[in-house]
Amino acid sequence: MLKDKDKKVKYDNEKYDLIVGLEIHIQTKTKSKMFCSCPTGYFHKEPNTHVCPVCLGLPGALPVPNKRALELCILMGLATNCDINNEIHFDRKHYFYPDLPKGYQISQYKQPICSDGYVTVSNGVRVDIERIHQEEDVAKSTHHTESSTGKEYSLIDYNKSGVPLIEIVTKPTIRTAKDAKDFATKIRQIARYLGISDADMEKGQMRCEPNISMQEKGKWEYKDGQILPLGDYELNSKVEVKNIGSITAVEKSIDYEVQRIIKKLEEGKKIKQQTRGWNADKNITEFQRSKETADDYRYMPEPDIPVIEISTEDIERISEKIVELPDEKINKYIEKWGISEYAADVISSSRENAKYFERLQKELSKTLDEKEAAVEASNWLMGTVFAIGNLNIDIKDLSLLILAFKDGLLTKSKAEEVLRECLENNKDIKEELERLKEEQEKSSENIDGIVDTVIKENTKAVEDYKSGKKASLGFLLGQVMQVTKGTADPNEVRNILKEKLE
Amino acid sequence: MKIDIKHIAELSRISLTDAELEKFTPQMKTILESATVLQEVDTSNVQPMKKRIAFDQLREDVSKKGLTQEEVLKNANHREEGFVKVYGELFGSIEES
Repeated sequence: MLKDKDKKVKYDNEKYDLIVGLEIHIQTKTKSKMFCSCPTGYFHKEPNTHVCPVCLGLPGALPVPNKRALELCILMGLATNCDINNEIHFDRKHYFYPDLPKGYQISQYKQPICSDGYVTVSNGVRVDIERIHQEEDVAKSTHHTESSTGKEYSLIDYNKSGVPLIEIVTKPTIRTAKDAKDFATKIRQIARYLGISDADMEKGQMRCEPNISMQEKGKWEYKDGQILPLGDYELNSKVEVKNIGSITAVEKSIDYEVQRIIKKLEEGKKIKQQTRGWNADKNITEFQRSKETADDYRYMPEPDIPVIEISTEDIERISEKIVELPDEKINKYIEKWGISEYAADVISSSRENAKYFERLQKELSKTLDEKEAAVEASNWLMGTVFAIGNLNIDIKDLSLLILAFKDGLLTKSKAEEVLRECLENNKDIKEELERLKEEQEKSSENIDGIVDTVIKENTKAVEDYKSGKKASLGFLLGQVMQVTKGTADPNEVRNILKEKLE
Repeated sequence: MKIDIKHIAELSRISLTDAELEKFTPQMKTILESATVLQEVDTSNVQPMKKRIAFDQLREDVSKKGLTQEEVLKNANHREEGFVKVYGELFGSIEES
């Protein structure tokens, strides 16, 4: 929420519509690079050790496409309701920069693998996807100044050069910064669920670049995927923002641009088509350069790679890898199992949580009915398992513990204690539960005796109870539980206590 | 035919003197005119001569060791701690993809 102080400096936005399109780059998770067999894992590796003549762009080296990478691109397209082209064509996109050794990037221009998809973000807003295409990542360069000479230089590591990269491009149909953020979040979730990518923005595995423009209300229309002016209105140019290192920065940078652009427009200034960089320390965008146009990239068909034919069988085979996505899970959890919306949301947010929850539910439903099993599984996952922070807790063990709790063998906090104890000391939960059971049986024989002792030793509380202070019963109950180390059934103890006191 | 040598040079990160611009413009014009001969051929009924392969024939995702760092850096004019080192101020204003 905006503070009052910020509201005052905010420009009035009655006059303009915000129009956003997002470009999202995702490094897909393969063992080898897009067009050669060099290993992909470059994080914290010695520079220039995952490099060969192909990804170094040496003359005569030929690119050979990676099957798995293309499968992952198609998988992303299928998961976002895209049409899949039956042919794959690659093109060369030319520009000169030291991180691009060939002088061109192999990408796709006119015929992307996936097109015309959509995803629905959390509030029901639909975001249309124009295309998803396959390309290759560039090398990593860092910029420095030589202290002795003052000269500017760059250090280049080609390990990242040629890592498979997919680019997801939305249509300009996003109307709020929040929707842009939600879309990026959803894409990241799908990529992680399907094992397409770890999509860690801090590590550069996922990069978001919003294209932002502000147009006067009622002076433009959206037609065939494009924003068109009405009458003699002249559209304002769009601004692209790069260097966004987190999902929240997607929203923040758009909010910032809205204010900056409106200010310019209100001052009667023209918006220049440009690329700006997000500065996360200052929370502002900074001018980087005027944007190159598509013509400047001099696209041409990549002559070194044949046309790749995709059959219906190929697509079917790939679509088998699609697992149930979060939206479908949330529906199932709520509708079928009666889990709260909040819990369904939390559990389905990661594939690991959802998997654990579903396995636990299944195990419990051998004994409990499926709804009860689901409720217990969700409570225990979000309580005990999250608290312990370990998704490796054996499902069978945990379910035994849960059932023991349901049977009244032990309290929830005692159960948690037993679980921690067993995990820390590598003890068998089953044995531990049996031991507890024996103890309890023994102690329930002794329980009369214990209750008698407690009554004898706490005369003050007993008197209080008898004189009408019913709360004292809780104290006495606590004393008994302490002696029995929490193994006694509190309800049973309560009854015995009442009986003896009255 | 309008030829903007200056723009082409900028895209290639090459700086040209005015004298060079004057010299290259007619040369580029000649090159492009020669190429227009190709555009006169009617190719409307000709299929692109491009090899086609089935998805199944693509390379399996198996990684192999490439060159050693020493080999990679062999042709680099400058190097520093295993990196290729390049000088130039203009890089700062150019995009990283």
